[in-house]
Formats: sequence, C-alpha cells, structure tokens
Amino acid sequence: MLNLDLFVWWVINISWSIVFLIAVSIYLYGNSRTRRKESNQTAANRIRLGKDFVFVWILLGLLVFYIASVNIGSAVLFAAGNIVVEIILIVYLMKSMHEKSEQTASPRSK
Amino acid sequence: MIVPRRDYWSIHPSSVYQAFETSENGLSEQEAQRRLRTYGHNELPRPRFSGVRVLLRQFRNLMVVILIACAIIAGFFAELKQSIMILSMIALSVILGFYNEYKAEKIVVDLRQNVSIKAVVTRDGKPSEIDSRLLVPGDVVSVYVGDIVPSDMRVVHSKDLQVNEAVLTGESFPVEKTSNLLDIEGQPAPQQLTNYLFMGTVVVHGDGRGVVVSTGKNTEFGAISRSLARSHPETEFQKGVKMYGKMLLTLTFVLAIGIFSLNAIIGRSLIDALLFALAVAIGLVPELMPAIVTISLSTGAQRMAKVKTIVKRLVSIEDFGNMDILCTDKTGTLTEGKIVLEDYSTLHEIKDPRIITYSLLCNAAVVGERISGNPMDAAIWQYAIEKGEVESTKPYIKIDEMPFYYQRRMMSVVVRKDGELTIIAKGAPESVLSKCTHAEMMGKSEPISTDISLSIHDKFLDLSQQGYRSIAVAYRSIESKTSYSVEDERDLALLGFLVFTDPPKKDANQAVTKLKEMGVDVKILTGDNELVARKICDDLKIPVKRVVGGSELTEMSSTQIKAAVEETTIFARITPEQKLDIIKALKANGHVVGFMGDGVNDAPALYEADVGTSVDTAVDVSKEAADIVLLEKDLLVLANGIEEGRKIFGNTTKYILMGTSSNFGNMFSAAAASVFLPFLPMLPMQILFMNLLYDVANMTLPTDNVDEEYTRWPKGWDIGFVRKFTLFFGPFSSLYDFLTYGIMLFIFGAYVATPSATALFQSGWFVESFWTEVLVIFVIRTRRIPFLSSRPGKWLTVLTLSAVAFGTIVPFTVLGGFLGFTALPAQYWVLLILMVATYLLLVDAGKVFFYKICKF
Repeated sequence: MLNLDLFVWWVINISWSIVFLIAVSIYLYGNSRTRRKESNQTAANRIRLGKDFVFVWILLGLLVFYIASVNIGSAVLFAAGNIVVEIILIVYLMKSMHEKSEQTASPRSK
Repeated sequence: MIVPRRDYWSIHPSSVYQAFETSENGLSEQEAQRRLRTYGHNELPRPRFSGVRVLLRQFRNLMVVILIACAIIAGFFAELKQSIMILSMIALSVILGFYNEYKAEKIVVDLRQNVSIKAVVTRDGKPSEIDSRLLVPGDVVSVYVGDIVPSDMRVVHSKDLQVNEAVLTGESFPVEKTSNLLDIEGQPAPQQLTNYLFMGTVVVHGDGRGVVVSTGKNTEFGAISRSLARSHPETEFQKGVKMYGKMLLTLTFVLAIGIFSLNAIIGRSLIDALLFALAVAIGLVPELMPAIVTISLSTGAQRMAKVKTIVKRLVSIEDFGNMDILCTDKTGTLTEGKIVLEDYSTLHEIKDPRIITYSLLCNAAVVGERISGNPMDAAIWQYAIEKGEVESTKPYIKIDEMPFYYQRRMMSVVVRKDGELTIIAKGAPESVLSKCTHAEMMGKSEPISTDISLSIHDKFLDLSQQGYRSIAVAYRSIESKTSYSVEDERDLALLGFLVFTDPPKKDANQAVTKLKEMGVDVKILTGDNELVARKICDDLKIPVKRVVGGSELTEMSSTQIKAAVEETTIFARITPEQKLDIIKALKANGHVVGFMGDGVNDAPALYEADVGTSVDTAVDVSKEAADIVLLEKDLLVLANGIEEGRKIFGNTTKYILMGTSSNFGNMFSAAAASVFLPFLPMLPMQILFMNLLYDVANMTLPTDNVDEEYTRWPKGWDIGFVRKFTLFFGPFSSLYDFLTYGIMLFIFGAYVATPSATALFQSGWFVESFWTEVLVIFVIRTRRIPFLSSRPGKWLTVLTLSAVAFGTIVPFTVLGGFLGFTALPAQYWVLLILMVATYLLLVDAGKVFFYKICKF
C-alpha cells in the first residue's frame, strides 16, 4: 500500500473536493459578473460580494469543522457540529427565500 | 384468387370490374373480408411492434455487454458469487428496461392508430369511410381533393381529376387522370399511365373513382418505398443528448482505464482492479437515459392525447415544448372555421341570380357523397343546395377549365348555353378586376371609368373592413376554339361579388394571450387580404405589429425577409411557397418554429417547420406530413399540448442533472478512495446493486410534477448549463462520501484491513452513498423549497422512499450478507441522519447560489 498516513490522504481528498467546489463557485460567479458587466469594484459591490459568498464561507467553515471533529474522533462533537451547521443553513435559506419574495413583490427596476 | 395481370390500362373499365370480380357497387363486405385474409393489409412493410424485438434491444445496450463481460471474467477467475450477482443484475436490468420500453412503444403504436388515413370505399352498393389499411384488390374507391391515394387503382371515372405524382416521379406539376384506355406496349413507366392512380400520390384537383388493382407492398410505391423513406432531421434535443452521451462515455472510458491502472500499480489483484474499474464505469453512465427519455416521451404523448393532441413523431415533443414562434392560418384558429356565403350582389346591391349560377359553374368544390375542396366554393354549393338554386346550372355544358393557382388567385371556365360560349372567371377581387374592362351597371355592361373603378374599390374596401371575405365574378362571350388558356381571361365584365363570413372565435384572444404568456409568438399566414386579417385581429384585440402582403414579400431579398419576419404579425395574400420562405427565415434567425396547417398545399411547410401541426379534419397529405395532429383545431388545445411538451422536457432534464450531480460525485470519490484505502471502498457487485436500486427509484421520474416556471417559457437544450451544473453539484456528493470515509475510518475504527472492518466500511458507505444519491432528487427536481413550495409526484415520492427503505435494511438481511454487507451500529444511524440532512440543506443552499448566477 502507499506509504502515507491514511488521515493525511483523507484530509487531502476532502479538502480537494471543497476547494474544487469553491473554485467552481468563484469561476461561475465571475463569469456571471462579466456577462452583466458589473465588475466595477465599488464599496457596494464589495459588500455584495461578501453577501453573495456566504455560501462559500459556509463551505470553508464546514471543512475546518469536519477535519477537526474527525481528527478528534468524537461522534458527539460531529453530531453537535452538524446541528449547528444545519441551523446556519436553514437561516441562510430562509433569508434567501425572504429576499426572493421581496424582489418578486417590488417592481423591476431594469 | 384473382389471376393478376399487368395491363389493366389497356382494357375497358367494365372489363376491369370483370377481372376483379367486382362491379360499380363494389365488393360485398363478406368478399372484402375474405380477400383481406388472402392479400393481407394494405400497408407497407415496416418494422412491426414486437415484444421479442424490444427484449433483444435490451442486449444491444453497451452497459449490458460490459456487465456480461464482467460476469464471464468473474466466473473465469472463480469469483462465482460475483458472477451470479452480476448475472442477476443483468436479468433485473433487462426485465426493467423491457417492461418500460414495451409499455412505451405500445402507447405510441396505439396513439398512431388515431390518425390513420381513411378511404371512401363502395361496398354492397354503399359508400363508406374505412381505414385505408383494410382495402383489398377489387375494392371501388372514390378520391377527392387533398386525399392521398390509398392504393394502386385503375381509374373508372374521373371529373377534372389531377394528381401530384412527385413522390413517384419527382415531377411536381399535376398530372391529369382519366378513365380512357391506353395503348401501350411493354412495361410502361408510372408517368405514362394516365388512367392509373398510384399509392402515395396526392389528389390536387377534381375527383375520381377507381378499382384497386394492387395493395401494400405490391404497389408501385411499395416497390420503391425504402428508397423514398423521408427521414426527419435530428431535433436540437436529440443532438444535445447525443453530444452529452458521447462526453460521458469518453470521460467514463478515461476514468475506468485510470482506475484500473492505478489499482494495478499499487498491487491490487488484476481481477479485482478490472471488476472495480468496470463497476465504477457502469455506475457513472446514466444507462437509463434512453429508457427515461422514451418513457417520458411516451407517457407524455399519452397525456397529450387526453388534451386532444396526438403525437405522431415522439421526438418532436421536445421541440413542441421549445417552440417560440407559431405560424398558423386564420381559418379555424382565430375564426370559427365555418365559412358561410352571407350575401351576393352586383355593384348596385342587386341580387342577380347569375352570380350564383356562374359561381357554381366556375367552382372547384367536389360534390359527391360529401362536398369537399376549397371552403368558399363548398360554401357556395351549400348555399345553392339550401336555396334550391342548383337547377340553374342545368342548361350549361362545361367546355374547358383554367384551374385555380395561388399565383393567379382565380379560376375560369368556358361554358356553353344554347350554342353560345361564355368565359366565367371567379377569384380574389383584385385578380379578377385586373382582367375586367367593363362592369355590369343596372343590367348594362359599361366600360370601367374612373368613377366606376372608385366605386368598385370602395365596395371591396368596405366589405374587407367589415371583416367579410369577398370574391368577384366576371364574364364575357367568347368565340369557339379548340382549346382555351389563361390568355382568354381578358376584357371581362364584372358581374358582382360574393360575400362570405367566418365569425371570430370567442376564445381566440384568450388562446393567443396564453401562447404569448408562454413565450410563443403567433404569426398569421393567410391567403386573405390584409384588411380582412386585420379586422379579425382587431375584433379579437390581438395586437398587430406589422402586416406584410405577398406581393411585398416577393420584392424582398432574403436578408430583408429575415428582418421582416421578426416584426410582422400578419402575412396576407401569401402563396404556399412564401409560407416556406417565412418558416425558413424564422429558423435561420434561431427560432424554434411551429406551423399549423390543414390544406393540400401546407405539406411542404409542415415538413419544413420544426414542429408541423395539423388537425384531424385536415386533408390526408397534411396529416401525413405533420408531427403532431390536433383532434380539434383550436389554439387553446395547442397551448395545452405545448405545456405538456415542456413538462416532458423538464422531467428529462431533471434526470440528466441528477445523474451528473450525484452519480459523478459518488464514482469519483470511489475512484479516489480505491487508491489510498487498504481495501476496495465498495465491492464491484455492491456498486452494481446500488446502481440497480438507483435505477428503480428513477423509473417514476417521468411522472413527476413540474413547477410552473419550467413550463412558463420555452427552454432549449443547453449543454453549457449541464456542464456547469455537473461541475458545481458533483463535488457535493464527493465531499460527503469523503466525510463518510472519515467517519467510518476514524470514528468507527474501520481503518484496519480485517474482513469485518472492511465490511463495516463498505456497508457504511453504501448506505450513505445510496441515501444521498437518491434523496437529492427531491432538492434538485425544483428551484423552490422542496416539499414546502414544490411537491414531488406521488409515485416518485413513494418509489424513492421505498428504495431508500430497502437500501437501509439490506445490510441486516441475508441478501446483505451475500453482498458482503454487515449490520451497522446504532450510533452510525444517528450520524448518518444528521450528515444527510446537512448534505441536503447544503445542496439546497448551493442551489440558491447557483441559480442566482446561472440562468436556465
């Protein structure tokens, strides 16, 4: 077998999948911005960038949490962490739904 | 049994009757049934619907071939358990595929029966309409304008009968057919046989009767039908799916080679490495895609039949849903389609009975068992029959006829009464008036002065503005000649106008608005003049952007036509050739174009359009050329059909997106894990078993509910979107697979390469992988919040949850033991539920992010 510690291999693989996902997200986001010709780096845009990328921040947080909990080998920590992440995701989804319904209700500016 | 001979063209009709042991009264029903048993159905040999063929087709699937190879290899290397398991998978997979495809094909065959070609046959002395497949040699068949000749026939009676034989001879100019004997030696070519009607040719004028001399494959058409088979070009969706399939196969091939090589290099047994690589390859390929597409299309076709839409060519459904322009005529769609002769009069509002008499003489309608042909000519006959004015034509004998052509928009006849010859012309007012030098004013023929010309123009304008369709009648005395031509249509005297109504359809506005809301722009292609078409649109409150006339269109270059078609709502006074030009221009502009037509001359446009739609009452040639046949000529019926088409497209796309997002992720993580784990992350037969369960869960996807936003707008196939979707959602599945590896290895201690630890790891990953792979359908199937704002289909929910339940209990069963699984600890299930919940919420959050930046 390969002379490498299993855990390191595992960390490489799980990190790779999240990094790949983040890279794809940034690529798609950048692509859509270019199409909309809204690449001006104004302060407002930077705030929006931060908001739009909440999903990416969640991913990075998850990566750290998963590696830590598996490294410790605690099922309780893993379970509790998952519940916290689920609450964050539900809040994110509800906020998105609220924003979407507000956008639908208000007349389109474009 | 009739002794067949080939020279029926050279014998008298009475001898033809004799030769076929029939008469003018036709065969008896009993004799016809007997001959049907002897000669078989009047149909061309075509692949028949056969269960055996459907079953054999299952083995033509590349994946089944790979699985058989796997079973042989496993058996050869004494992996008997693996071999039996793989063979069981093949059996189940084949049964599953066979059952669904058999059902799907049966639906299509049954639906096609609804649009069979009919023939008017005389049996036992009575004419009746029957399915043309039931015709037998010796049957006496009547044909009318627009009919497709149902078999080879010797003409025994004809009345101005003209047939287009382009399908056989390539000659598009109509050929006149009579019952006259022909003196031809040897074997004549079809075009020489002017007293024969050939199967597949189209009656374009007049009517006739013939005795069937040969049917089915024994006809001229049957002999050459293989070379004549007209194949439709691939639809955009077919091209897209093919391209996607190729992309997947290439990727799978590269991955399988890679996995095998890496596993071989790290010292795993070659047979294990090979079987594992093949199993991963099978797991990657959406082998169910052809079946899902077929089931989607056929069940959709069945649903569409319920909304009075019969699909003749299944693959056209997708284009039907994606259609963004509909070209249609006005009659029957915007109007009631009931053309009635409302009135007739001279310029001075005098009801001169000659107008009716002349228009009955100069008339292309065929009056037999039914009145058929041009609707306005038929309406004149209907009027005359009701008012008892048919007798007025008795003293006249028709000498010659110059038929109606779209380019001239008029027809004329030469008639004799009491030794005097008269040429009568009837047609579009502007065409007839261009041939007039005189007008009948208060019983006197007077030269058309500027004043008279103005009053004629005003009258025509007034009628058109009121929405009436009008035609003019003119005449003059003519000298006796051997033959007459259109050159004789000159110096005519205008007699008067016939005024027709076709009331606007009450729900037409609603239908056009609904189509507009669905992203389908309606363009009206009419032979009527601009004013009449505009009046109908005004009455129905249909906004008209621009009106282009046929003559204006003739002057335009192809570039100008391309620009004009975008902004024009009504194309008035256009010819069938111009319909074709308009459709071609719209297609060149990138539109998915639908055309709705029911006339003899609509067939080329029906073929040219992406989706040719006809109606059940249309002439045979139009129904034959159409992809879709509506049982009711109504735009609302069409709109409902489009909605169904979009649902089908939506469900097929869901399967593709789901396959890419979960399958890919799972198989990539399996491939990666096989390199660093001291054992295989899942046994080949475990992967195959999971694949099979996943396939079962997907089988009801075609019946899933489709969100409104999916049917609201036409959506074309977008391979770029599928690629982005795969790149974005694929890694989610991989991430949770890797997480499961971590839990199994470091929380449940399955890192030691003992059989029990390996079985624990494989069982843990199997359940997690299956749960995530199957449950994610509820998230991906909609852009909304799953279950709360978008409810999945009943059967999809039941089958998916049943599959999940089955996959969950498998490790605890005998089957699980056979597959190499072991029971999982209670703690695992708690973590699994939490982990899968996080996964589904994360994919849903990813969906919000993804659809914000990627439009589809």
